Amino acid sequence: MSRKQIHTPKQNELRWLYEISRPYLGWMLAGVLLATTVILANVALLSVSGWFITAMAISGLTGAVINYFTPAAAIRGLAILRTVGRYLERLITHEATFRLLAGLRQWFFERLEPLAPARLQYYQGGDLLSRIRADIDSLENAYLRIVTPTLAALLSTVLMILFLLWWSPAIALTNLIGLMIVGLILPWLALHLGMNSGKQIVEARAALRQRTSETVRGLAEITLYGDPQQRMDTIHAENSALVVPQRQQNRIDAGSTALTGLFSQLTWLGMIVIAIGLVQSGMLDGPELVMLAFFGMASFEAVAALPIAFRALGETRSAARRILDLVDAEPAVIEPINPAAAPQHFDIRFDKVCLTYPGNKQPALSDVTFRLAQGQKLAIRGASGSGKTSLTQLLLKFWAPDSGQITIGDTNLNDLSGDTVRALCAVVSQQVHLFNTTLAANLYLAKPDATEEELLNACRAAAILDDILALPDGFETEVGEAAARLSGGQIRRIGIARALLKDAPIVILDEPTEGLDAATEREVTHALERLLSGRTALIITHRPHLLTLADQIILMDAGHVTGTRLNTDAINI
Amino acid sequence: MANPAALQDKEQTRQLDRWLRSQAKTVKRPLNTAVMLGSVNGFLLIAQCWMLAQVLNATAIGHQPITTVWGYLAGMIGLFLLRAGVNYGSQRFTFEAGARLRTELRARLFDHIHALGPAWSRNQRSGARATEVVDGVEALDKYFSLYLPQMQLAIIIPAAILIFVFPFDWISGLVLAITAPLLPVFMIIIGNQTEKLNRAQWRSLSRMGAHFFDMIEGLTTLKLFNAAQREARFIGQIAEDYRLQTMKVLRVAFLSSMVLEFLAAISIAMVAVYVGFRLMYGDIHYLNGIFVLLLAPEFYLPLRSMGTQFHARMDALGAVEPIIELLNTEPSTQPTGAIALQLEHAPQITFSRLDFAYPNREAVIRGLNLDLPAGTHTALIGASGAGKSTVGQLLLGFLTPTDGEILINDTPLTKISPRSWHKRVAWLPQNPTLFHGTIEDNIALNRRSNGHVDALHQAAQNAHALDFINRLPNGFQTIVGDRGQGLSGGEIQRIALARAFYKDAPVVLLDEPSASLDPESERLITDAIARLSSGRTMLTIAHRLTTIERSDQIVVLDGGKIIEQGTHEALLHANGAYAERYRQYRSAGL
Repeated sequence: MSRKQIHTPKQNELRWLYEISRPYLGWMLAGVLLATTVILANVALLSVSGWFITAMAISGLTGAVINYFTPAAAIRGLAILRTVGRYLERLITHEATFRLLAGLRQWFFERLEPLAPARLQYYQGGDLLSRIRADIDSLENAYLRIVTPTLAALLSTVLMILFLLWWSPAIALTNLIGLMIVGLILPWLALHLGMNSGKQIVEARAALRQRTSETVRGLAEITLYGDPQQRMDTIHAENSALVVPQRQQNRIDAGSTALTGLFSQLTWLGMIVIAIGLVQSGMLDGPELVMLAFFGMASFEAVAALPIAFRALGETRSAARRILDLVDAEPAVIEPINPAAAPQHFDIRFDKVCLTYPGNKQPALSDVTFRLAQGQKLAIRGASGSGKTSLTQLLLKFWAPDSGQITIGDTNLNDLSGDTVRALCAVVSQQVHLFNTTLAANLYLAKPDATEEELLNACRAAAILDDILALPDGFETEVGEAAARLSGGQIRRIGIARALLKDAPIVILDEPTEGLDAATEREVTHALERLLSGRTALIITHRPHLLTLADQIILMDAGHVTGTRLNTDAINI
Repeated sequence: MANPAALQDKEQTRQLDRWLRSQAKTVKRPLNTAVMLGSVNGFLLIAQCWMLAQVLNATAIGHQPITTVWGYLAGMIGLFLLRAGVNYGSQRFTFEAGARLRTELRARLFDHIHALGPAWSRNQRSGARATEVVDGVEALDKYFSLYLPQMQLAIIIPAAILIFVFPFDWISGLVLAITAPLLPVFMIIIGNQTEKLNRAQWRSLSRMGAHFFDMIEGLTTLKLFNAAQREARFIGQIAEDYRLQTMKVLRVAFLSSMVLEFLAAISIAMVAVYVGFRLMYGDIHYLNGIFVLLLAPEFYLPLRSMGTQFHARMDALGAVEPIIELLNTEPSTQPTGAIALQLEHAPQITFSRLDFAYPNREAVIRGLNLDLPAGTHTALIGASGAGKSTVGQLLLGFLTPTDGEILINDTPLTKISPRSWHKRVAWLPQNPTLFHGTIEDNIALNRRSNGHVDALHQAAQNAHALDFINRLPNGFQTIVGDRGQGLSGGEIQRIALARAFYKDAPVVLLDEPSASLDPESERLITDAIARLSSGRTMLTIAHRLTTIERSDQIVVLDGGKIIEQGTHEALLHANGAYAERYRQYRSAGL
């Protein structure tokens, strides 16, 4: 982590947001213009109405002739403009948001791809995912929640003030001050005063959620080992404590809303007082006074959405920061500029390979040397953390060694592209990730152009064909549904079928039978035997039966190879 | 882009609504105060409009100087201040109502979870329950703080405005009175249709989101199959397809809200134009006209925001469903005995003609007779579904037998007070729970009043946990997360063992993990278990051959009945189900 951040100058997150939105600026601008139109149409509707009825009243009293067709038509026209404008605004802003969403997701995925899995391992699975989810969500909403209201507020304020300046600078200034207080100062104050309680709310809620979760999970342990009453007391106390920061936040919010109303009202009243003076001095007439009064009242709609935008801004900036930090990491492996062609034979050699993960003092691998002839199988044993998985990570080019050489069929791994290397390897591990689509699609992933025959053969060899065919929808079963119907062992065998279908010359097994019960383990092991036959293989396992399949066993401890044995020793381990 | 939960059933929606309303009864007073303050605010608003009409009438029509309207202006400032205060107060009261309701509801849920007990909790997804109890209850807030009071105000305020408009200008009053009911009616007619469309659309949006995150989660797998670049193109493509399809729907969906907006806007315009013409003909007084025009937008405001309130309601209804379900879950009957158990040594435990069935289900345990002699170790084996864990739950007292009894020495378990029994049993589950806190707190969940430190170290030592605990940066004071972050599976098992040693109970139930650990952990744990069993009456739900071989008696369970029972040698000799199983295990190398 620390290593890469020195190299990359921090990109400004707002500039980056702008860059990423660039292709959609046209749509965004149209949305902003429409939002402005809606605000102004509303202000105009009320102002013209006020002017109109006052002018009509004066004409009624004095008998003066008045052109009432134009303003009456304008009132109806503005009512329609406001409505249609609002409709179009919603359409256009959503259009822009969806376009942004498509672009952002594709961009993010493409940037993330070279980083997996090496640079992502610091972020624990679920945590990374839920954070990315929330962050991408708030970036996608940035346009609707922040950009449109802010720019529309700015634009319409400028136009409104320009309009007022034409009538009276004093009135314009009063309105401007009021809009600034309501649109900028109060939201800013509320945001800053509420920062502390906002943080406390999030923390208190997370703590309560965690406490609830462990209480449900550990209820038996609490009953048997702990003091249930005491735990209930704690949880009740935490429950009541959650309200405290929320109350603080509510005070700030309520105060801010009340003051927003107060300042808007004082502003338009001030505008009226000034206008009354101008009427007295003959610079304005009666209808104009009423028009300006209504104008002042309606003008505050322009800044109504700013408090929400303010609040979202901080959130969006930190979301953008986190996403940037994530994708700005340098890939752990640098691809060769002129990659070599795929090797034709598959001896694997590790020669004095060393690897230390960034931020760790202990090397994960030091001076690891071994040779595996094509078609042979090498088993690796060792406690967790001894470096077994690091070996496979290097072989798959997910990491690069700090020193030493890895070759496949005499071609140095450094000269091969990651894609070429991974095309040579099929992997079965404890974690078989099935994508949320049909089983067939999950299997075809390994070989998109596989024939149905090949698919069936792979499943048969993995001893999963009958299980799949027994499902109501067979291969077309959705994984979400299948997960409920398939056992851990069956999912493992689907992973094996996928590896069989890939038909790669090198097989990597990373504790493929771990966590299975005895009977299931036997079935999976049989399926693995078929996968291994005729292929070069690296097998990480503790299981005695799998070990018997190896020609050679190496023992690892703290990144060192501490022993090498031949198969004859292995049988009785 | 919140996704309102799908509620297909109208009747069900109504039920949930009723339930929520009944909850609100407990906070009637603050809620009513809030509504009252909201209504007061409405009346003050009317007064404010009236004063403003007076000011405009005097200055714009009468051309009178500002000095003549000072009284009104001062009055208006007073009203502004008053309204700000009332506004603040009403927000505070709605908050307090909601806060009290949420806290009480959550407290009820916690108590209920406690009452449901371990027999219930072992089948629960704890994360989902926590989200329901914490975030689900929070989500109800909008119902109480927004929907309920605003719906009342949406009737009170327009009605009050109408009452004042009629005497001043009955024609405008008629326009408002006729258009006002149209808004909610339209909202319901169009809203229902488009809401459905909308929801389907949000669902497909969340499906698309799920696909995107699924791809990220499986990124390593995609890379292994060189499929990542192919998928990247798909992600953009799917989002594009979604956009085209959604915009088609939105074009229609937004039309409905446009109709509503249009009704409100055109009504205001109508009032303005009609008032204007009647003013010209001198039919009404300017004061009345301007007063009505000032009130017209305020009249429609609460009606227009009803859409937002309905949305808040939908959100709350979506969140409340699992909460009600949880509250309606009946606790299973648990023993309520009162005898305080006295045990000096490991007791003899006898299962006598034990039957157990979950309500309305087939029996899980049928006529079980089993003797666990004092201080011996019994291994219980059998295929999954044979009833092993049910036997364990019965022994712990989490479940009560439907018939027969469990005797501790000679006292039936049902007659013993649960608290005193629980003090004397230690339990090692397959997946022990570590609580957020220090290792010390996790081993000594209930601290002894004296000799705690010695007992703690001794327990850790006996469980082979002392070495790795001492290697941790803060030793016993190291904080562990609730999923045991930072500890390996074997280490978590050993902390659970230390718990049992610390508790030093005369009876032990061990639910052996079926998944395998690395050989070193396995050796240490087997050794620690052997030490734990000495001098205690121990029942093991066994998965490992070494454990089974070492036990004093082996019991083979099938379909809730004992099919074989005896020592390892005797059972091998009998060459029955156990012998066959044993050979299977052997060949798998376990």
